[in-house]
Amino acid sequence: MYESIEQLNLNDPRKRQQWENFLKSLGISNFSDKEINGIDLTLGMYDGNELVGTGSAAGNVLKFIGVCNKGVTQGARFNRIISELTSRLYQNQIFHILVFTKKKYSQSFQHLGFTELASTDSAAFLETGSPNITDYLDELPKVVDQEHQSIAGIVMNANPFTLGHRYLIERAASENDWVYVFVVNTDASLFSTDERVALVKQGTADLKNVMVVSGGDYMVSYATFPAYFLPDSVTNIAYQTTMDARIFRDRIAPALHIGTRYIGTEPYSNTTSQYNKALLRELPPKVKVREIKRLKTAAGQYITATQVRKIIQEGDVTRIKELLPKTTYQFIEDHLDMLELRIKKGMNIDGN
Amino acid sequence: MEIKQTAVAGTLESSDIQIMLSKGNHGIEIDLESDVKKQFGDQIISVITTTLKKFGIENAKVKAVDKGALDCVIKARTIAVAQRALKTTDQPAWEVL
Amino acid sequence: MANNDERLRRTMMFVPGNNPAMVKDAGIYGADSIMFDLEDAVSMAEKDAARDLVYEALQSQDYGDAELVVRINGADTPYYANDVKAMVKAGVDVIRLPKTESAGMIHDLEKDVLAAEKQFGREEGSTHLMAAIESAKGVLNAPEIAAASDRMIGIALSAEDYTTDMKTHHYPDGAELSFARNMVLHAARAAGIAAFDTVFTNMDDTEGFYRETRYIHQLGFDGKSLVNPRQIAMVNKVYEPTQKEIENAKNVINAIEEAKMKGSGVISMNGQMVDRPVVMRAQRVMKLAKASNLLDEEGNYIEK
Repeated sequence: MYESIEQLNLNDPRKRQQWENFLKSLGISNFSDKEINGIDLTLGMYDGNELVGTGSAAGNVLKFIGVCNKGVTQGARFNRIISELTSRLYQNQIFHILVFTKKKYSQSFQHLGFTELASTDSAAFLETGSPNITDYLDELPKVVDQEHQSIAGIVMNANPFTLGHRYLIERAASENDWVYVFVVNTDASLFSTDERVALVKQGTADLKNVMVVSGGDYMVSYATFPAYFLPDSVTNIAYQTTMDARIFRDRIAPALHIGTRYIGTEPYSNTTSQYNKALLRELPPKVKVREIKRLKTAAGQYITATQVRKIIQEGDVTRIKELLPKTTYQFIEDHLDMLELRIKKGMNIDGN
Repeated sequence: MEIKQTAVAGTLESSDIQIMLSKGNHGIEIDLESDVKKQFGDQIISVITTTLKKFGIENAKVKAVDKGALDCVIKARTIAVAQRALKTTDQPAWEVL
Repeated sequence: MANNDERLRRTMMFVPGNNPAMVKDAGIYGADSIMFDLEDAVSMAEKDAARDLVYEALQSQDYGDAELVVRINGADTPYYANDVKAMVKAGVDVIRLPKTESAGMIHDLEKDVLAAEKQFGREEGSTHLMAAIESAKGVLNAPEIAAASDRMIGIALSAEDYTTDMKTHHYPDGAELSFARNMVLHAARAAGIAAFDTVFTNMDDTEGFYRETRYIHQLGFDGKSLVNPRQIAMVNKVYEPTQKEIENAKNVINAIEEAKMKGSGVISMNGQMVDRPVVMRAQRVMKLAKASNLLDEEGNYIEK
């Protein structure tokens, strides 16, 4: 009458096969290495020897949730597997949990205390625990009488902060009362989150109406938008960028009274240009989108952080002096060995 | 008493209540999800609040997901989560039990 | 032994201590004893929460006439001391010590229980004890363990750990438990306390469950530990007295009353003297018959 739940070792070929077959029978079939490798924990629910439910966690994101409800109270197994999975994460001091799921399962998660942050026709993105998006927004700096001011928002990875970024911020700052700069909060880039935030702050210190803040789990994070960091299919990029845009439109912008999102034109990166398209499609009319033409060098070259990273790898950093604010250049010069070591150790520099 | 760390007690299974307790600055703020919130929401919140106050907790964010828990279960889970958040699990609060 | 009340202990139902649904409903199945488990059924991360839950349930839930038992964590764990205190404070009927191997362990527990009774203003001696025997050493020391304290009400054989200790496992026919069962049973009888048989976990094997229960009933066990409420009715069925046994017992009881009315110290039936064991058996049969709903208001057998 009470099924047992145990940890599943996916490295065991027999267990793995049983697990995949079970999920396939429920219509889940993406078992690419990229999806599987990120998994930290998989639980299996057994009725005797039969697998009747499973759930996994990759960091703070729940994945591969599936239960068979044959012959049992609807929802009971689902509740148990989610309960067990979240309990394990809480025990590991992971208190903020995210899940992407089919739209039709959103309600089931909401019954367990999850909050839907955004959804499309087919998919939903939910969170539970603490700190949640309300806590995140509460913690951000505010200005007096914010709702009556013109507020702009920019999201950037700034890996590292270039004069191109600076130009975009300057434009927003000159056209608005205040600007939030959300720096991507994922450590999957050559420059760490702390370094990137510090360089953006230093590089905009003279702009008094700019607030540099963390993007949390809500803007271009590894959890919500993995395709930004790792190559992915067009379908996945479309899905992730849409979700990211809707979170910004429905959750972030209204709470902070952001009227305009600033983006730079994207000449090279496919992912980023798709992201821009999604923003242009999803944000208006609630949030205006200002697409600013990317800054060029004197020689007519676009300034990109990708180019900066490439030159760091090659070593002759004097060549990038003209692309960077003094503060960023100084940092790179001082830490060149460390950065080159990171590249040698396998840090991907071709992405974003 | 000051909350030292975010903590959770209870499960999402039938007849249980899962309570997450974290630092707060504006009194005891309770976010309750329950199928019987209309009928019993006030009662659930009152059990949680009373129990937390017995621990001297005046400021906290509480996120509770109720699955039809009896008062004694709500009290037990609140005690467990409070002691975990205060890092006093090894010294049960006999005066609160 | 704790007291002479010959209460029925046919069924001791295990209830996982951290499961509110099961803790809440434990009273509705009619088990003679309910054993809330803080030990094996609770993961390390939930020991505190389970203790709190069982404590609050004991304070507020109505479990009818069932004897309330809590299996605490062993003395070698960091949970033991608080388990003892909390359960004494909660006023539980019986504390069950797992993995008991010597009378000394019961003596230590008795000291801790007494200290807790004093600390929380409970009547001294009100908390009873029982021991689970789960190893070869425990089995060999069963007699001294059973007689270790006036608070003792029973000992139970726990086959899972015991068979592991014996380098075997639990077989359907139970041959590997033969010595332990008899040892535990004799220890209990010699000390005048109850003997509980181990759990039977294969819920699909109804026939095997009946076979094992009939066997331990035949040996003389008071009852069996159970993991599923469905097993309660099955055990009770096995322990149900026959019509003939009931009628016999009824005659004995009548003879006792007759002797009382006559003011005679000698109970006789059909011209034969009735001695003490016969009286005790008759009383037990009547108790079982009543618990099995086989008697009408006058105490006569109800034809089915």
